[in-house]
Amino acid sequence: MTEQRQDILLGTVFAVIGAAAAFKAATYPGASGGYPMVLGLVLAGLGGLVSLKAFKEKRLDARPLTEHMPRMLLTLVCGALYLALVPVLGFYTTSALVVIALPLVLGFRQPVYLGVVTVVFIGIVWSVFSLLLEKPLPAEIWMRF
Amino acid sequence: MEMIASILSSVLATGPFLAMIGSSILGVFIGALPGLNPVMAIALLLPLTYSMDPLVALAMVAGIYNGSMYGGAIPAILLRIPGTPAAIATTFDGYPMAQKGEAARALKIACWSSAIGGTASAIALITVGPLLARATLAFGPAEYFWIAVFGMASVGVLVGSDAVKGLMAAVFGLLLGTVGLDQLSGVPRYTFDQTWLLSGLDLIVILVGLYALPPVLSLAEKADLSGLSASDLKLDNVRVPWSEVKSLIPTWIRSSLIGISVGILPGAGGNVAAFLSYNATKNASDDPKSFGEGNPRGVAAAECGNNADNAASMIPALALGIPGNVVAALVLGALLIHGLQPGPQLFHQNPQLVGGFMVEMLLTSLIILIVGGAAATRVFAQVQRLPGVLLVPTVLVLMAVGVYVINGRVIDLWIMFAAGACGYFLEKMEVPLAPIVLGLILGPMAEQNIRRALLISRGDFSDLVTRPISATIAIATLGLIVWPIGSALFRRRKAAREMLDGDGQD
Repeated sequence: MTEQRQDILLGTVFAVIGAAAAFKAATYPGASGGYPMVLGLVLAGLGGLVSLKAFKEKRLDARPLTEHMPRMLLTLVCGALYLALVPVLGFYTTSALVVIALPLVLGFRQPVYLGVVTVVFIGIVWSVFSLLLEKPLPAEIWMRF
Repeated sequence: MEMIASILSSVLATGPFLAMIGSSILGVFIGALPGLNPVMAIALLLPLTYSMDPLVALAMVAGIYNGSMYGGAIPAILLRIPGTPAAIATTFDGYPMAQKGEAARALKIACWSSAIGGTASAIALITVGPLLARATLAFGPAEYFWIAVFGMASVGVLVGSDAVKGLMAAVFGLLLGTVGLDQLSGVPRYTFDQTWLLSGLDLIVILVGLYALPPVLSLAEKADLSGLSASDLKLDNVRVPWSEVKSLIPTWIRSSLIGISVGILPGAGGNVAAFLSYNATKNASDDPKSFGEGNPRGVAAAECGNNADNAASMIPALALGIPGNVVAALVLGALLIHGLQPGPQLFHQNPQLVGGFMVEMLLTSLIILIVGGAAATRVFAQVQRLPGVLLVPTVLVLMAVGVYVINGRVIDLWIMFAAGACGYFLEKMEVPLAPIVLGLILGPMAEQNIRRALLISRGDFSDLVTRPISATIAIATLGLIVWPIGSALFRRRKAAREMLDGDGQD
């Protein structure tokens, strides 16, 4: 996508967010609504200005949004899966899985190295958060039975 | 005098002292790892500081900040890969020195220059900060409102390449800051009947997402599978003669002054300070052609300049509540975590804490001299043997655990993830992230003060611009916004006129 198209889209998205925020703020009573309404309108105006500027300047160079789309998407998907599984499998189990799986997905092929890093890293996190700071984290699935 | 003694004794107590040493070492490691940066590290650190003593928390921030700014020089000199954006100028002469077999000498000069720049900057913070804070005693709600607006406008306009996008980001941040219960009337805003939104969007959750996830995604895209070999990281110990040290003194003085001036200006960062210092040293040199070919003064200027920016950027942050750069914004976030409101009142209400933080900035600059020695640097350089792909999941796990422990809610993890993904694409589209964070921090201050000012003036808006100080800040804000737009229009007209003249001549 060209810079021009990206900026038109970007400006439009912010203009819509601003207009929606101003519209919603109009329903708030008294001074509570005045401030966010002004902000919403200003945001809509600035978004519109970004779009208009892009439309006029016609910058047709491509501006890549990623350096390597497949790896970026794989990381985002793995990250989302990780967050989804944390409450199900427990924090340490899911974290150990992601520390092993994500480098493998990205092409790392040294299982022993990876295993050592996983054990050491999860051990450090457990020592700091559970042992030292005593922070409650999502319970491990195997501890619930 | 009593206050100084009290501040020193509290900073030199076991907790803050160990935190300064440990975090300075950690900071050098972080700076030495390309892909990780001080902003990301401090953002990850903040959730951990909830249960800590504020002085210990701020000691860790100071150590990581100063340590990582020096650490960035290690890969810049050894591999021509700047560990942090501020170390780009260090590569110009650092890498050629390494190629000539003078890597250890370049690293030693970088270490000393970092420590000297950081120390000068901390002294500026200690002397100028309280004076500026004292000058703000006459401020009322209208002035506080304009200060918040000025801060956001300056960061919005000066950070990034497009002033309109910067301002748009700042207003978006302000809007995000209104989510939750209105602090003055108790009306819920933009909560969509979700109870977890009543307390608003957690600043730290957004910060961790915005500043930690984009570098993680970039590391994943690069997919470094091997790291460096041990032979690439061999360093010999060398002595730098006193005559050379003496020849660097003018460079250190010049670069410190430039770094401090840049740091005080909101919006400019360590990379700007390093470039300006490098250019000034090159211009002042009798042999400018030797720069870029391994001149030690180039390394000294860049490193001294980027470290002199560190503490100076805290001057507007602590005295006015306007962060000079993103790390200063994170420091304000750390203060908020401990229930301290950034801004002019901070110096008057918490002198012990503010004074303690300033001393910690000074001491951590000096600690660099000890932890940055040749032997230690040889150890720090080894972190570059770690394959980059292993950092991707480990940072992701640190982000998750850090955010989860704030409120113990899974929803925060998703907010962090969404903020990070948005931040990644916004950066690619040249929308700066710092104004969003600043809007979140300064938004409540701006809203509360404008509403208070209007209550005092019984709804008379003219009161916002008729008091001398508020009128001055308002005019400065307007000038700041109008200046780049006006100069862009002027440039465009000039270009059009030149084109027309050219056509006429043809």
